[in-house]
Amino acid sequence: MASISLPKHTLSSVFPPTNPKNPSCQILPILSSASQSQFYGVKLSTRSYSLSIPSSSFSRSSIFAKVSKGDVPPSFTLKDQDGKNVSLSKFKGKPVVVYFYPADETPGCTKQACAFRDSYEKFKKAGAEVVGISGDDVASHKGFAKKYRLPFTLLSDEGNRIRKEWGVPADLFGTLPGRQTYVLDKKGVVQLIYNNQFQPEKHIDETLKLLQSL
Amino acid sequence: MPTLLHPKYPYLGLGCHFRRNTCGLPRIAARVYCSTPSTALDEPPPPPRLPTSPPLVATTRRASSAPLLDDPSLRSTWSHRAWVAAGCTSVLVSLAKSAIESHTWFEPLVAGLIGYVLADLGSGVYHWAIDNYGDASSPVFGSQIEAFQGHHKWPWTITKRQFANNLYALARAVSFVVLPIDLGVNDPVVHGFVGVCSGCIMFSQQFHAWAHGTKSRLPPLVVALQDAGVLVSRAHHAAHHRPPYNNNYCIVSGAWNKFLDRNKVFETLEMVLFFRFGVRPRSWSEPNSEWTEQVDNPTPLQVTLTQT
Repeated sequence: MASISLPKHTLSSVFPPTNPKNPSCQILPILSSASQSQFYGVKLSTRSYSLSIPSSSFSRSSIFAKVSKGDVPPSFTLKDQDGKNVSLSKFKGKPVVVYFYPADETPGCTKQACAFRDSYEKFKKAGAEVVGISGDDVASHKGFAKKYRLPFTLLSDEGNRIRKEWGVPADLFGTLPGRQTYVLDKKGVVQLIYNNQFQPEKHIDETLKLLQSL
Repeated sequence: MPTLLHPKYPYLGLGCHFRRNTCGLPRIAARVYCSTPSTALDEPPPPPRLPTSPPLVATTRRASSAPLLDDPSLRSTWSHRAWVAAGCTSVLVSLAKSAIESHTWFEPLVAGLIGYVLADLGSGVYHWAIDNYGDASSPVFGSQIEAFQGHHKWPWTITKRQFANNLYALARAVSFVVLPIDLGVNDPVVHGFVGVCSGCIMFSQQFHAWAHGTKSRLPPLVVALQDAGVLVSRAHHAAHHRPPYNNNYCIVSGAWNKFLDRNKVFETLEMVLFFRFGVRPRSWSEPNSEWTEQVDNPTPLQVTLTQT
């Protein structure tokens, strides 16, 4: 019997927030040609920003900047699969692979997680940490990590707040949360952004390639 | 007198089952009923036998709920035959109307070819949906879903279904759709498409049954058409019956399978449906009793040995 369960993450939480209280709030997309998400691998290396500029000084500003190569992404604190708070700043001083994936227990994400697991020793050898982020809750991450014996941290980005802050693009006209991986160097600067929805194992190859050159 | 079945996979006794063969057919345990030869009065006397232990005839009966070979559910009824007749009539009328104006044969022919191609795609989409969503209690499609699940448990059953029994459900759907078109439309191009498309859809279950057959038991023409890619091949369809059961859904020619699987079309649809409606397809779960082909479990079998 097919199971019916409402996803913890809703599609609306994937999209950037609008501000109904301030309809004059404008969003100026300044996008480079390489910034659109594609299915089969896009390395983003140019700067691009989407800014919302409030017209009234009394309105609440909703500024978010998409993280690009060369940026130091905004820090965050999220709960891991054991319910403990984990901050991005904890990993400063070593390279970090932060990979955003759609959801636990889906075919592509399982392949990707298992591929990271199987190559984990290579990541450790490169001195890097691996962190997976999705909108699933702590319990889902715990089950997922246990089932597939994942040795790395999974963070629960409920409401997809960090996904939106970092500007991870959605796929298929916004119907699918994007699959995007960032590699941060020891100083916390983004050195690689790799996007590929349907070839999840390639994320491991591309990130390892870069880590070995850092 | 029980008859010999599946000579390539004789059931030799308790605890015996066979690995997948080189064609990639799923693991099956066939039941063998050995026939004792009868000798006519005018036949020459048999040669003298060496002293051996007396031959035994083993009859085995499956203790699970799998249909037996003489199960009434595999036989055609008059209702089944009526629906198949209605379906065939609708299709033939449509084809006749497509050929009625001989000077316009090219366009109806091209339309027919498109119908054949799209029938394969349609069979894949329908098969994917039925295999992955809903259950026996679903409205309209519940019985179909249950039948497809049963097919995954006992794939061999389809080769034992009588013709009308196998096709009547599709024939019924085709009758309801094609008959109004037969009555209301006179365009030969439309009928070229409709006739061929509906005919292929109606007979897809027969193509499917042939894809579960063994080469030696199929008509040579069928084997040739399978090898040529005109009909879905045994090897390609066998891949659908192996974990993770999420590929090779098309069952007319199977021509769309490579494209759909390589481009992860169904996986994409599954993801979209999951994020949109929260419904997980069955193929995402670990293979369980709903999918896994049932192999004879030796313990509950009843084995009756009789001496000849």
